[in-house]
Amino acid sequence: MRDFIAKYGTALAGLLVFVFLLVFARNFASTANLLNVLKQTSFLAILATGFTFALLTSELDLSFANLASLAAVVTGGLIAGGTFWGLAVVAGLGVATLGGLVNGLLVTGVKVPSLIATLGTAAIANGLTFMMTGGVAFVGRWDPMFLALARGELFGIPVLVIVMVAVVFSAWFVTRKTRLGTHMLATGEAQEAAHRAGIATRRMKLIGLTLSGFAAGIAAVLLVANLSSASPQMAGDYLLNGIAAVLLGMTMFEPGRPNIAGTFVGALIISVLANGLVLLGAPYYLQDIMLGVIVIASVSVSASVLKKAAFSV
Amino acid sequence: MKLRLLLSLAVVAFAVTRAVSAQAFELGVVAFQMSSETHARVANAVEAAARKKGWDVVVLNSNGTLQTHAEQIENLVQSGVDGIVLAMSKPVEFDAQMQEVKDAGIPLITVMSGASPNALFDIQVNEYAVGSESALYLLGQLGYEGSILTDRFESNVGTRIRGKVLDVVLSENQAVKEVGSHSMARTKSWQEDVRNGMNALIMQNAGNFDGIWASFDGQAFIIDDLLKQQGMQKGDVVLVSTDGGPETFRRIKSPDSMLMATVAIPFEAMGEAAVDAMQKIAVDGAAKETITSGPYLYMQADLVDQSNVDDFIKE
Repeated sequence: MRDFIAKYGTALAGLLVFVFLLVFARNFASTANLLNVLKQTSFLAILATGFTFALLTSELDLSFANLASLAAVVTGGLIAGGTFWGLAVVAGLGVATLGGLVNGLLVTGVKVPSLIATLGTAAIANGLTFMMTGGVAFVGRWDPMFLALARGELFGIPVLVIVMVAVVFSAWFVTRKTRLGTHMLATGEAQEAAHRAGIATRRMKLIGLTLSGFAAGIAAVLLVANLSSASPQMAGDYLLNGIAAVLLGMTMFEPGRPNIAGTFVGALIISVLANGLVLLGAPYYLQDIMLGVIVIASVSVSASVLKKAAFSV
Repeated sequence: MKLRLLLSLAVVAFAVTRAVSAQAFELGVVAFQMSSETHARVANAVEAAARKKGWDVVVLNSNGTLQTHAEQIENLVQSGVDGIVLAMSKPVEFDAQMQEVKDAGIPLITVMSGASPNALFDIQVNEYAVGSESALYLLGQLGYEGSILTDRFESNVGTRIRGKVLDVVLSENQAVKEVGSHSMARTKSWQEDVRNGMNALIMQNAGNFDGIWASFDGQAFIIDDLLKQQGMQKGDVVLVSTDGGPETFRRIKSPDSMLMATVAIPFEAMGEAAVDAMQKIAVDGAAKETITSGPYLYMQADLVDQSNVDDFIKE
């Protein structure tokens, strides 16, 4: 029973919140609102999935939100400048992935602790967004094909939801069903033992941080398409939310260990709460308070079984 | 048994509360950034005026983040509110969300945001007039010659217009030189941005400027404090800005402050006007044209300096 609660307690609590909102929050149960919640979850889930990859190898990535903002500004700036949107998307994805790769090289090659390295790249990415924009957003009425990346639907399902499911499922598949995932997990669990067993632990960390950057790029492109604009600090709010989603995820399914399924459910719980609080008529500050409570509670819950060095700083 | 009874009572109490509140008009308010005083003043005024009418109000804060703002508008649409007021929003960026509001048949009024075909109208002051008032006041105080520093903010349409009008005024009065300019870029940590940028400018141009133009009062407060730290006294430098509010009026009156004048924008009155208009259109069924025929409802902004600041402090 204790094991069951440890594994599924948070998910059950989330389910209870969901049921409570179904009963008491007006319109919460409507199809339009549930799709709305899923769409809003997509950005957070994708970013948090990337962060989970980094954390799996026991490295922190505190730059993912800033890399996403930089990728957004690159994508939006190129489109506003007349570049074909497909190329702009590739450039945005490329910039964020490159940022993740730089993080990986700093951590594995230069031996800078990931906490410091990614804080540094976050600051650089932040500075670059302001250098490119002067603080003014790129805004326009852009190609409908590009906007459809975030606003479109396929067979009645929002494209955002389809992309989120594809990213989360791919990430889950890689971590649970491939040798790469096994090696990344082993690197995070016991780096020395993994190294002795012949696993290229440095390469695993490099891949983890690069994938985190790549996920930031995907989220950035979707954000730009959703708002047909790109501004500095566009994804700034996702840093705390992303960390909260991953921490929340670490309290379920595989307690104390970052896992994709947990991250996804964590992101979903945060989005459902944000939406539910509005539908219940709660004031804005309650959302921030709830997020803080979630972070503290999830760390408290997982602290007893926390196996990762990253959060024990 | 006791627990079951308590739970049942709680559910009944909640259901009754919801049923009672469901009869009232529900207004959703989203401020783009509550840490900015002007956004908060509008949102708080809307909330107060709506509560006075007995309406239910939910006030949301977008923390200066575009996606959060979009999500909050979407959530309000889903919650089925009867009306929405957006403070300092961005009609182009949130075109899709405002369209959703319109499609849902929810009346939408924006404040200091710019016009949108999906909103009833935007409550504004004429920023071109505001810009010319503060620019001309500054140049008048300098006797139309000297050097100035400026602190700009290009991300907001109102402050951007004020800056452009200042440029026009300067182009016609070339004995006044802009010797240094800082442009505030960050919206989330703007205070730090202004402090760092203007501190550097003031140090670099020490003794070489007679006036400072700030695009809004929040910037002016920080600049005022920086000037005081440099040992300056009232009259050493002419500092002008725009927005108004109790802190601004206190500084204009204070013998220690460098702030000489502001153009006071009636943010509270704008919030109240939004609620009044919502009442007339959404509750009483009046046509939008009975309030304003165009995309804007303009309000008066007043220049406030030593000569009339007492009138505003009394208010």
